[in-house]
Amino acid sequence: MFKKGDLILIAAIVVIIAAAFLITETLKSGDSSVNKTAEISQSSKIIKTIDLKKVTKAEDIVIAGKYRNVVRVEQGRIRFIESNCPDQICVKTGWLLSSGDIAVCLPNQATIKIVGKADNIDVVSY
Amino acid sequence: MLAVFVSLAMILSVVENLIPIPIAVPGVKLGLANIITVLVILKFGPKEAFVVVFLRCLLVSMLFGGPIIFLFSVTGGLLSTLVMVLLYKYFGKVFSILGISVAGSIAHNIGQITIACIILNEFLIVTYLPVLLVTGIITGVFVGILSGFVNDALKKIKI
Repeated sequence: MFKKGDLILIAAIVVIIAAAFLITETLKSGDSSVNKTAEISQSSKIIKTIDLKKVTKAEDIVIAGKYRNVVRVEQGRIRFIESNCPDQICVKTGWLLSSGDIAVCLPNQATIKIVGKADNIDVVSY
Repeated sequence: MLAVFVSLAMILSVVENLIPIPIAVPGVKLGLANIITVLVILKFGPKEAFVVVFLRCLLVSMLFGGPIIFLFSVTGGLLSTLVMVLLYKYFGKVFSILGISVAGSIAHNIGQITIACIILNEFLIVTYLPVLLVTGIITGVFVGILSGFVNDALKKIKI
């Protein structure tokens, strides 16, 4: 059932995975001593920007769309806490802590992520 | 005859969505409908394979999701079919069904990540790619093995 080409292919894919992994690790800087800003987007537009370092008490933000997501914001972290979407992947992703962390609710086209570098912030929340 | 394959692909696609997978990454799935894609490539040809995949994505998304779901599934599906068709046609001697299936799976994942990045306007979606590629190899092997079994069974009853 196996041919030699298959094994070479799988080996090549493992190399690609390793490369992809390294690249994604550089995208997530994990450095939280810099700015820690969360961006909440829906339908590819940023709807809210939050400086997580300045959050004093926990806050819930609702993203309404085809489904309803509730995003909990605490000091230094953010997550989807509740959603009525069918797959619940957004909620299962858990807390986002570091720059480059991301969670998406595909059915609701909602995304939350943490950006760390100041020059990424060029949209004002409204 | 192709309509039977389209319906089978639809059924597999819907049923596999009912199986919960404990991995918190969007897009991780068994891809059982791709067994049908592989079979159509083996038994009919590239044009038929594209048609079957397109119809399956169209009908499933019409019934269960909407236009966005259609975009997500059809890009992955068509890219996957394209890769498998090309590998089968030009490298059929080098790769077995297993290898072709794995390649299709990888292409499917890359297609889906790409369309997700575009639709959500979010480059960081690519951070999901390593996990998807790993599960992609596993499901690709699984789908390849199953396709082999079904193909052998079909040969015995001369379809």
